[in-house]
Amino acid sequence: MTDTLPVDSASLREEVKIKYREVASEPNRQYHFHTGRPLTRRLEYDPVFVEALPDAAVESFAGVANPFVLRHLNEDDKVVDAGSGAGFDCFVAADQVGDVGRVVGVDMLPEMLEKSGRTAADLGLANVEFREGLLEELPVEDGWADVVISNGVFNLCADKRRVFAEVWRVLRPGGRIQFGDIANGNPVPEAAIRDIDLWTA
Amino acid sequence: MLEEIGFTEIEVSAPFDTFGGAGGEKNARAFDVSGYTFMAVKPM
Repeated sequence: MTDTLPVDSASLREEVKIKYREVASEPNRQYHFHTGRPLTRRLEYDPVFVEALPDAAVESFAGVANPFVLRHLNEDDKVVDAGSGAGFDCFVAADQVGDVGRVVGVDMLPEMLEKSGRTAADLGLANVEFREGLLEELPVEDGWADVVISNGVFNLCADKRRVFAEVWRVLRPGGRIQFGDIANGNPVPEAAIRDIDLWTA
Repeated sequence: MLEEIGFTEIEVSAPFDTFGGAGGEKNARAFDVSGYTFMAVKPM
């Protein structure tokens, strides 16, 4: 473990994989966080757009905010979704960027990639693709993206500085990051910060 | 951290009650955890 990191990156990654494999395959189970269509309503996504999506596109959604609430994407934007899960935010982005734009979802879980890719094919989305990769090593060329979005994933990465540096690398100058994440108003005890089980519990 | 990396024009949304009514609500309330949308620009 890097001395400055609160938990070991690889160990945390394995815990995250276990949790989100469950979210991919058993989306209707009870978790410590909300999922699916009820969560999209809580996070103020466009209900008309969400209603038109098939269950597979929404049921495994587990974001913590709405990356599009401060600013919509432009019609020709090239977008990277860092930690795309089952693809819900990519489908929202694909609708906003239109046929000229492009959306690349990156996720480390084969189960999520299989689900998001199948849904994109079912929806006939030609402007979306999904790639396997880590946020610490995004499989995207330097300066490609106009926008990087993410939702509830940076908080699951131990080395946030490395992740944000990687976002910086793939953004073009003038590009922007729009992401949902959690923040705490009360201090979290040091022992809790170093308890890897609490990162995903 | 965003500023340290070099991002500018940082904006933060109003909070979302992300965990209200969920199984993890107790911990979320204890540490006053909410969801937020963040936006920032990589300067030209």
